Amino acid sequence: MLEKGHVKEIIKSPYLLLVPALLFYLIFWFVPVATSLYESFTTISGKVGLNNFILVLQDSLFLDAFVNTLIFALLSLLLQFALALGIAVLVNQNFKGSKLFLFVILIPMALPPSAIGILWNTGLVESGWINSFLATSGIQNVLEALGILKGPTLWKAVSGLEAVMTLIIIDTWTVMPSVMIIILAGLQNFNEEYKEAAQIFGATKWQAFRDVVIPIIKPSIVTALLLRLISGLQVWLIGVMLFGFNNVPFLVERIVYYTDKVRTATNSYKMANAYSIFTLGHVFTVAFLFLRVTKDKKEGAK
Amino acid sequence: MENILKKTILYLVIVFISLSVLIPLSYLVTISFSSQIEVNDYPKKMLPSLYHNIAIKWDAENQNYIVMRENNEGIFKELYISSKYDKIRDYMKTQLNIDMTTERIEKDFNVAKDTGEIVEYKYYKSFFNNYIKFFTVFSGAEKALINSIKAALITILISMSIGGAVGYALARTSIKKKEAIRIGSLIVRMFPMVSISVPMAVLLVRYGLFDSMLGLAIVYSIPNIGLTAAITRSIFIGVSKEYEEASLVFGATEAQTFRKITFPLVLPAFAASSMYAFITAWNDTAVSLLLTNKNETLALLIYKSIGGASSIHYAASGAIVLILPALVFTFLLKNYITQMWG
Repeated sequence: MLEKGHVKEIIKSPYLLLVPALLFYLIFWFVPVATSLYESFTTISGKVGLNNFILVLQDSLFLDAFVNTLIFALLSLLLQFALALGIAVLVNQNFKGSKLFLFVILIPMALPPSAIGILWNTGLVESGWINSFLATSGIQNVLEALGILKGPTLWKAVSGLEAVMTLIIIDTWTVMPSVMIIILAGLQNFNEEYKEAAQIFGATKWQAFRDVVIPIIKPSIVTALLLRLISGLQVWLIGVMLFGFNNVPFLVERIVYYTDKVRTATNSYKMANAYSIFTLGHVFTVAFLFLRVTKDKKEGAK
Repeated sequence: MENILKKTILYLVIVFISLSVLIPLSYLVTISFSSQIEVNDYPKKMLPSLYHNIAIKWDAENQNYIVMRENNEGIFKELYISSKYDKIRDYMKTQLNIDMTTERIEKDFNVAKDTGEIVEYKYYKSFFNNYIKFFTVFSGAEKALINSIKAALITILISMSIGGAVGYALARTSIKKKEAIRIGSLIVRMFPMVSISVPMAVLLVRYGLFDSMLGLAIVYSIPNIGLTAAITRSIFIGVSKEYEEASLVFGATEAQTFRKITFPLVLPAFAASSMYAFITAWNDTAVSLLLTNKNETLALLIYKSIGGASSIHYAASGAIVLILPALVFTFLLKNYITQMWG
């Protein structure tokens, strides 16, 4: 039997506020994750081992999916970072109309992924808006005169690396603003006096930017980049909406393919699981790096 | 001189970047307002047209009307041949988005018959035709819209109640392991939802939640509870405890203090995290693809509509319907955006 005072103490305990969250994550997060791990190491007949992973390695599209995912994540990261940094510096100059400019360039990051799919699908088809724009603006004529193009381009008739590059450009169009806005927030918190001090001591504008501004806004850059890397590793939707399943394989595309498209095949469930664990491994390596970096940042501040 | 050159280059770059965002969107909006005929036009127009220029010729030999339309190059092209007014009306409605009564067509077309000359008319399009059509042509579009709203509202409810409590505990109580909670919530938030979809489906089937909006909302809440906790935590810390103490000193009860002092002060944070929850649920395609069967969300419906090439203009108007709320909420949230990264 608990004493009356004791009961009251438990009811008033601040840990009770955490109980719903803990229960929620236990049931709806921990259980599926643990199941996923367990399932990926057991075969349908119940044998424990790496069989599922061997199945994945034998999947004819595994290597393509793996390479495509890495190329996509790294190249889109580089491209987005370069553009985002440039544009953030530009917006931060507070020129006339910079507020309006910021508003315009932030639009793409607000668009739902499936709407992005429709947008670029209407663009990439042969009589789509990309070719229409090239034709009406006269760019098509210039390119044809230079011998670069012959007639309307078939944007969707690409495969392999070309298709991945197309997706990288579309992804950059979509998410560059979300990297930019984090860098911009870093720049806006930055105290201009540091830069002025550097310039007084004889640093050029570029030197001040490289040696003073960049190191100070580095934490926001690192955060932005690692988060982009994590989402970059999870690309699938835009690839499937533009090129269909199997044509431009990615790791997560494989998960969705095996979960949704081949519900009937016996092995597909195990395949989806093993692909999931494989992808998780990726993402957590990156997440681990992220935590390491944020920790360093704090220790550095001490 | 050098300054002017620099400024010109700066503004050229700005215009170029702005156009590369606006031109694709402008085309999407135009396609969403296009009639079937305009969808097949090439090159396409960048801005939506409000009307069609239609020319009518009476073919006395075959006793038929010849309907012509001025295309983007300014040339009248033959579209349709018929002598029946109601057939012409149907054609105008489905192919050109022009909504006219048979009587009006009879009156207008008779001019061509009586004079024997080509008559030109400017007919305005029924502007929102595709948007109305989207909800009728795509079976279940209306239901999908309701489903999306439902899933978003339940997500808000779950994340607010559970996440808000954690945020309060982190900010106002002396619980231990706060750092562990923060890192834990970060890991959960970075976790790719797709990768647990398989066991999640099994789990939801077991609880009878597969193919339901509650089931989807639970999955959407996984990252959002942590996010809500982070946002509300920072606000609860920001709201000075002294206000509450002052209120208590002046004789208000604890409930009154919460209602009249604390709650209004933390309301913006709850609004911001509700909007995040809304966006997560509203934008998601992957989870609803894997965890629903018949009960689609709007985003999923749009994803699936990509296959039908002949109805791309309806899909485009659906995409615009999907975009608008997401756009509004994202811009309302602009100032909170750095919070998202923990």
